[in-house]
Amino acid sequence: MDKVERNIIEVKHLKKYFGQVKAVDDISFCVKEGELFAFLGLNGAGKSTTINVIAGILQKDSGTVLIDGIDIDTHCEETKTKVGIVFQNSVLDKKLTAYDNLSLKAALYGIRGKEFLERLKELSDLLELEPLLKKTLEKMSGGQRRRIDIARALIHRPKILILDEPTTGLDPQTRIMVWSCLNKLKDNKEVTIFLTTHYMEEANNADFVVILDSGHVVADDLPNHLKNKYAHDFLKIYDKSPELIEILTKEKMKFIEKDDFIRVQVKSVEQGKEFIIAHPTLFKDVELFKGTMDEVFLNVTGKSLPGGPINE
Amino acid sequence: MNKNLYDLLYLIKRNIKMYFKDKGTFFVSLITPAILLILFVTFLRSVYISSLNSFIPDGVNISSRVIDGFTAGWLVSSILATSCITIAFCSNTIIIADKANGIVDDILVTPVKKTILSLSYLISNLITTLIVCFSCLVLGLGYIALTGWYLSLNDVLMIIANTFLLTLFGSLLATIIESFIKSMGAGTALSTLISSMYGFLCGAYMPISQFADAIQTFIKFLPGTYGTILFRHYFVRGAMEKLAEQLPSEAMDGLGVGFDTKISFFGNEVSNGTSFLVVGLTVLALLMTYIVIVIVRGQGKKKVHQTTNTEVTQP
Repeated sequence: MDKVERNIIEVKHLKKYFGQVKAVDDISFCVKEGELFAFLGLNGAGKSTTINVIAGILQKDSGTVLIDGIDIDTHCEETKTKVGIVFQNSVLDKKLTAYDNLSLKAALYGIRGKEFLERLKELSDLLELEPLLKKTLEKMSGGQRRRIDIARALIHRPKILILDEPTTGLDPQTRIMVWSCLNKLKDNKEVTIFLTTHYMEEANNADFVVILDSGHVVADDLPNHLKNKYAHDFLKIYDKSPELIEILTKEKMKFIEKDDFIRVQVKSVEQGKEFIIAHPTLFKDVELFKGTMDEVFLNVTGKSLPGGPINE
Repeated sequence: MNKNLYDLLYLIKRNIKMYFKDKGTFFVSLITPAILLILFVTFLRSVYISSLNSFIPDGVNISSRVIDGFTAGWLVSSILATSCITIAFCSNTIIIADKANGIVDDILVTPVKKTILSLSYLISNLITTLIVCFSCLVLGLGYIALTGWYLSLNDVLMIIANTFLLTLFGSLLATIIESFIKSMGAGTALSTLISSMYGFLCGAYMPISQFADAIQTFIKFLPGTYGTILFRHYFVRGAMEKLAEQLPSEAMDGLGVGFDTKISFFGNEVSNGTSFLVVGLTVLALLMTYIVIVIVRGQGKKKVHQTTNTEVTQP
């Protein structure tokens, strides 16, 4: 991966309280240009509050937010042109066509006439919008509506695309479609993707992860580093034998017996490899897994995420 | 063109489009005029005629065209008096829907000023209400022309001026009240309440003079009443002039009070000029209130920020 150094978002000591509720309590983090950044947390952790502050919808209580080096307090209108946001629930006018929705939102960014048509063509090619443009939003499927949401967020060529739980409540097929759109954008490297999610497999795809709990940043690192720090690698052994269980017990290794496999915890991938090599006759069918983000989340926050572990 | 003006025009266009595309909202806003029409066809017309006949002494023969022109004028004045208010409230539910559905957030992430968004709701509401009310007016004038036309050019111009003034009153009132409502349920309840109540309050279903004294006194403190009285006056003035040719002045005075073409406030008769002034000053007061609300809300968002210079980096 290309090394990208420039910070496109810098959040310093951000606080936002709603009465007695400390929605965001002194958090700091930064997002590098061109990366896929994941904000991980349960509902109420402060994810949406933070992105609403970044997008200029909510006024913060204190702290600093810089977008592309510009302070949102002093140049809010300018920073708004650099951010596009896909809300958790589609917020477009359902009675209007996709074309009407996109042309209105483009106009509010000062994009009209020929310039709008050119941008619409680019987005139509990227997101396959052409057959949808004359349809009203109320007649579209969830996946089609999501594509229009993403197009609407990208209509003004923002540097940052914020997605607030973009796949929550969508069926698996639509989730795959949304991710295919996001991967295209990521590959183009034209936009920094800032994602809030509570789906582990989505956080796995990120270049950098920040875990938020009760308004605080409780962990932040590359997904791999987080797994190394907070999760255990494990072997999934499908040949259950009394001899294997005897060896595991003898070597004091932690393991869980399941119906058709044994899950053995190892300190690292290296230890797992050594264990397999040391007992070649025991293994015919075995898989070696990195620790999961679910485990990371559980160990960092003490809470389980909805969706459950993916490799269990 | 200035960016703010462009933003305002696009948002007004969007709001108007939303109102006419949302058939549910559009038809709900036409419920009051529709109820009035049904009531008129089924029994109100005959009630008006028999009430009118009670003022006509025996032996005086009034042309049926004059009576029809009078009752038609009364009907159209009722429809317009209610529509200017009820349509403004119903079509303005977009303010509430935008808040409840998060569409306001989607607009505010663009570089559009909040004041421009607020102004767009008021102007689009004014335009949609004017479109519907003027359509009602054109249809109403057509109906009067068919039944019995006694209106002068001055009457028509005064009716147009009053339609504009009363619509402005309705739009401002609806925008101010509905800007405080956040849930669709409350918004629907309010517009339904206004639609059903306002017809009674402004004397559209039955003349104000037929209410109990206490209710009459209360109604006379409502500025909208004076808009209704103005409609009444100009819609039936010509027909009343015709009636005056054959009826004694006592009968005409009784007719004027009985059919709300004139109104007195604590014993003093209120002139048309005073009625226009009451509605005009109320519009001005509402406009000032609206401006204050928009300014206060705008200032409420501007908070002092603290800047920190701590370095934040990713590993």
